[in-house]
Amino acid sequence: MNKKFRLFDFFLKSLIWISGIFIFTVLISIIFFVFYKGLPSISWNFLITAPSELDGTIGILPMIINTVYIIVITLVISTPIGIFSAIYLNEYAGKNKLVKIIEFTTETLAGIPSIIYGLFGFAFFVVGLKLGYSILSGALTLTIMILPTIIRTVQEALKTVPNMYREGALGLGATKLHIIRTILVPSSIPGILTAIILSIGRIVGESAALIFTAGLGYSLPSGFFEHVKSTGATLTVQLYQYAIRGESLEIPFAIASILVIIVLIVNIATKVIAKSFNKER
Amino acid sequence: MAVSLYSGKTSKDKIEKIFKYIFFLSAIVSTISIIVITLYMVLSGGPAILEVGFIEFIFGTVWEPTSANPRFGILPMILSSIVATFGSVIIGVPLGVFGGVFISQICPKKLKPIFRTAVELLAGIPSVVFGLVGMLVVVPVVADIFNLPVGSNLFSAIVILTVMILPTIIAITDTSLRSVSQSLQESSLGLGATSIQTIFKVLIPSAKSGIMSGVVLGVGRAVGETMAVIMVAGNVVNMPKFFDSVRLMTTGIVLEMSYAGDFHRSVLFGIGLILFIFILILNILLNIFLKRAGNHYE
Amino acid sequence: MKMNNFKMQSKNLHLHYGENHVLKGINLGVRPNEITALIGPSGCGKSTFLKTLNRMNDLIDNVKIEGEVYFDDINIYDSKVDVYLLRKRVGMVFQKPNPFPMSIYDNICYGPKLHGVVKSKFDEIVEKSLKGAALWEETKDRLKKSALSLSGGQQQRLCIARALAINPEVLLMDEPTSALDPISTIKIEDLMSDLRKKYTVVIVTHNMQQAARISDRTAFFLMGDMVEFDETEKIFSMPKDKKTEDYITGRFG
Repeated sequence: MNKKFRLFDFFLKSLIWISGIFIFTVLISIIFFVFYKGLPSISWNFLITAPSELDGTIGILPMIINTVYIIVITLVISTPIGIFSAIYLNEYAGKNKLVKIIEFTTETLAGIPSIIYGLFGFAFFVVGLKLGYSILSGALTLTIMILPTIIRTVQEALKTVPNMYREGALGLGATKLHIIRTILVPSSIPGILTAIILSIGRIVGESAALIFTAGLGYSLPSGFFEHVKSTGATLTVQLYQYAIRGESLEIPFAIASILVIIVLIVNIATKVIAKSFNKER
Repeated sequence: MAVSLYSGKTSKDKIEKIFKYIFFLSAIVSTISIIVITLYMVLSGGPAILEVGFIEFIFGTVWEPTSANPRFGILPMILSSIVATFGSVIIGVPLGVFGGVFISQICPKKLKPIFRTAVELLAGIPSVVFGLVGMLVVVPVVADIFNLPVGSNLFSAIVILTVMILPTIIAITDTSLRSVSQSLQESSLGLGATSIQTIFKVLIPSAKSGIMSGVVLGVGRAVGETMAVIMVAGNVVNMPKFFDSVRLMTTGIVLEMSYAGDFHRSVLFGIGLILFIFILILNILLNIFLKRAGNHYE
Repeated sequence: MKMNNFKMQSKNLHLHYGENHVLKGINLGVRPNEITALIGPSGCGKSTFLKTLNRMNDLIDNVKIEGEVYFDDINIYDSKVDVYLLRKRVGMVFQKPNPFPMSIYDNICYGPKLHGVVKSKFDEIVEKSLKGAALWEETKDRLKKSALSLSGGQQQRLCIARALAINPEVLLMDEPTSALDPISTIKIEDLMSDLRKKYTVVIVTHNMQQAARISDRTAFFLMGDMVEFDETEKIFSMPKDKKTEDYITGRFG
């Protein structure tokens, strides 16, 4: 082979190696930097108190609670809708125009940036439906946002259920609904779990869609339903608040470490589910 | 004779029908959502744009929403958004494609799962965490290197956006390359091509549509990113210059929403509407690429 | 009272799949407690015909079915017929063993549970069905194990047991041994001659020796037509039609 070629080859190969190592280094540094700056500030007290000038506490308990509230409400609404949609698209709908429209709109929904969801949630839930800045407004906004993730993940899971199971059950006189209940949904449990975990990751990381819907409240709940109707900042929103105030970066970094740990857990959990599922087969 | 073949049909059919209906209603929730979102964005932002004047709104360069004689020109924000997106794509795409090539073709087998996990992690980290790291690392470093009084500027925004779109592009390049058939690769190697020649002359061209859709997804993510950019871009309304503070369309909305009066707020929705239209166009492009990619692999 | 001595009977049955005319006016009567074999080259319509007997073709898009299929004296394509009850009484075993991803026990109980049999009877049904499919001895100690842990031949017998668990009157078998090894095939053939005592069996097979060994009557299908239908012995010793003779002597197909 020609010398010039060999040199060029070598050049490209080095470039790929450098890119690969560079990307990897950047990632690892980001994670270590966040942990380095944030982990030392995390104490038990930090996790179980509310921010209060009176008591001199700066804890994040309300934000943890708000985040959990939003996760639960969002998932309670969107998981069944998402699973049902996936069932419809995979098991009932043929290949007609309507299905194409539904699939296209679901794709489009997935591509809309958070800030647009934030604006829409503000106009529709906060102002339009008069729900005000509240955890409920935030959760309803996120419900629409994560729907595509759930639909797609569950659809993938349904697609992997072999057709011969459906045939076998039909041959025994099972109705479609019965097959869904006894075979398809049980076989899709890993996919459904993955969808839920991915959604949790997405909700935990969300901020732009929540600032103008769930608001910035940081009080502890007095009761479930009252809290749902009151404003509440999640961990990410509170991180942002602290960061732009610029007083001290210790608290936002502590929150950031917690967020990165959650992301790590989400990643590991999806892997574990996928692995245990593959083993079963 | 045992049971008749007729009994039980109606009640069973009814339940089946009811559930089919429930499944169908769930399936159209996303379609209805899109329609309602579009409607609300147009209704909340459209009138303000018309009142300001479409041309004045899009091409006006003065943004003084709270002065006695308010002006609402968003050209600086539009251009800043475009330049920030373009900049991050220019750096992020080659880097991401190389990264994808590295993971799928070059990197030692044992390291592959580690790298893939790393990329997935990077994709999952919240925007605000990127913003925070940007504030504390990128901004001062940029100020230092380029000898600026403040490092919060367009360049820092581009750096952060680049890091944020990398995982999308890497992951899609990786999967598209893996789906190019083994035999194609082998026949190229069999003809005496080096592995690098095979990658650039055979693999990347056949995975082109897939990679393009990764690029469009990356563009979508960069255009829509808000919180991370707020924390590093300085947020002054300026025409885009690398080392000047800038405000993008997304950040412009967040910065003023909390105190905007009625009309001012409608104008912010107008910015949202322009952004929304931009995203819809990107989505249609994406769909075209995905369709082509689909046909390609069939 | 029955109008004739057929368990199932098709009358002038046509089936179109889109543009394709797959079944071209089939008239075939299946006698009770016999094994009826359907043979013919690939794509001749024999599997499609089998599936019209329990309306499994209903699932496919743009299928058009004309004519009648009688089960006793009921036309099963009558709009009032409950297709799920029909499939309870006309069971089916598929080409590839398709046990559900659950335990052996739950596989057998799937049908009974579905058709509202009380739980207390399950143990008895499981034992009876597995015995009926000659699988009891091999599985009685591992009923709670996953059905997917069985060998291919055992899986197919489990599928037969699963079909027997809901007491069908007719058993349709779509090339039930084509995915199995010779020893498993022999076991299932032995089983089939037992099944004849209690059930009416219709079997599609590619394997002419199998049809000759086990069936009472054989129908030869070719390109959507039923060319010849007679006692198996006659079909294989002195076929009336030249095309049948060509096929069974291996000159094509």
